[in-house]
Amino acid sequence: MSRSDTEVAHHDHLHALYRDHSSWLRGWLRKRLSNSADAADLAQDTFIRVLVARTASSLQQPRHYLTTIARGLVIDLYRRRSVEQAYLDVLMSRPEVQAPSAETRAMILESLLAIDRMLDGLGQRTRQIFLAVQLDGLTYEKAAERFDVSVTTVRKHLAKGLMHCLLMDEE
Amino acid sequence: MKQALAQAVEWYVRLHDSAATEVTRAEWQAWLQSDPLHAKAWDRVEALRQRLSLAPEGYAVATLETARQQRRAALKTLAVLLGVGVTGWGSYRASPLSADYSTSVGQRKRTTLPDGSLLVLDTDTRVDVQFDSHKRLIVLRQGAILIETAKDIRRLSVQTAEGEIEALGTRFTVRQDDSITQVSVEAHAVAVRPRLAFGQAIRAEAGQAVSFTAASIGPLRAATEQGSAWTRGMLIAVDWRLDDLLAELSRYRHGLLGCSPDIAGLRLSGTFLLDDTEGALANLEDSLPVRIRRLTRYWVRVEARAV
Repeated sequence: MSRSDTEVAHHDHLHALYRDHSSWLRGWLRKRLSNSADAADLAQDTFIRVLVARTASSLQQPRHYLTTIARGLVIDLYRRRSVEQAYLDVLMSRPEVQAPSAETRAMILESLLAIDRMLDGLGQRTRQIFLAVQLDGLTYEKAAERFDVSVTTVRKHLAKGLMHCLLMDEE
Repeated sequence: MKQALAQAVEWYVRLHDSAATEVTRAEWQAWLQSDPLHAKAWDRVEALRQRLSLAPEGYAVATLETARQQRRAALKTLAVLLGVGVTGWGSYRASPLSADYSTSVGQRKRTTLPDGSLLVLDTDTRVDVQFDSHKRLIVLRQGAILIETAKDIRRLSVQTAEGEIEALGTRFTVRQDDSITQVSVEAHAVAVRPRLAFGQAIRAEAGQAVSFTAASIGPLRAATEQGSAWTRGMLIAVDWRLDDLLAELSRYRHGLLGCSPDIAGLRLSGTFLLDDTEGALANLEDSLPVRIRRLTRYWVRVEARAV
């Protein structure tokens, strides 16, 4: 009994939240995105997150909470678009890379996005050396040559990059 | 842990040096075995290496760098629009969906909860824990867990999308599948209550297993070994269909794993190591008339072997 009561209460709260703030949130998003379809999508996603997190009933400052979520979604959307675009550009510019199926493409994109997220916050030099060794498979000597640094420096940047990714991955 | 991680990273860097020798490897082995924490830290480094290896060969770096450049150009405008600093990119990662305890694909984890209960997380699992003065609530959002409850006056229960499992002093596993919860009891008993049919509560005893949806509970059945075999890193299949086995294995690895329909119904039994799904696939070739076809590194398909 009590369980289904809380269920009902939860839906009521969510409903009120949607009624009072959804068009305001769409407006907020429209000002920050170039097209209104994206804004409507992200507003919808924001409420889905509230629904899943089951936090609708305990909100002191609902608009602040909604914009915090929406902001994260906007950033994610930009990240996704930029990686998608870069991936398509690379495919176009390299005829030797066989165009994969839509399914494979989606998987490659997810894996690139996951890596891209992990790299946030790393310095440029560290990131470049880390990627050269880990993804391009360069030896330390070859990486040292490419970036015109010592092998010791390559080791140092690689360790720093690994540690960073491990800690990002922890969350 | 952070210190062990730093050491693991150091070892990784040394081992991948072209100057690495047998001596380096022996020293690394000694370090690995000297402390369970070292092994754990090494597993994390290994898991990271695997994740990175999923990136497409040859053009991943170019893609990532191009994307980053393009974003950097757009970033100044975006930061103003969003009212966050330029460093805001990284700090908005923590979504309301992040969980108290979680594992990535292929990872398993044991932890002790604040009350001393043991919590083991299976692959790709997310769990939230809410303890207060009169209840201990474990919310299973995704994946599978094993719980061994510590003695405590507060009631302990696990909540899934379908309902609630109340522990009655016990050791049990819960798995969140698509719209269905699976419970398997190893010691003592649990009470199971579907979300939309609270009156239907059922008691499952040690050695019993039960599945339930939000509206109804299935029949009690004998718990199979597979219920908790994963906590020991094993997958035990007894007379399973090939497609079921592949679906189960694919929970522990990235990418797609499937088979052609003509062999999906082949039956097999066996014990497989979850940390070595590649080995499990190789075993299939030995025991069934099939061959493993690798379309890409993360797209594996099992097909009938031509005679």
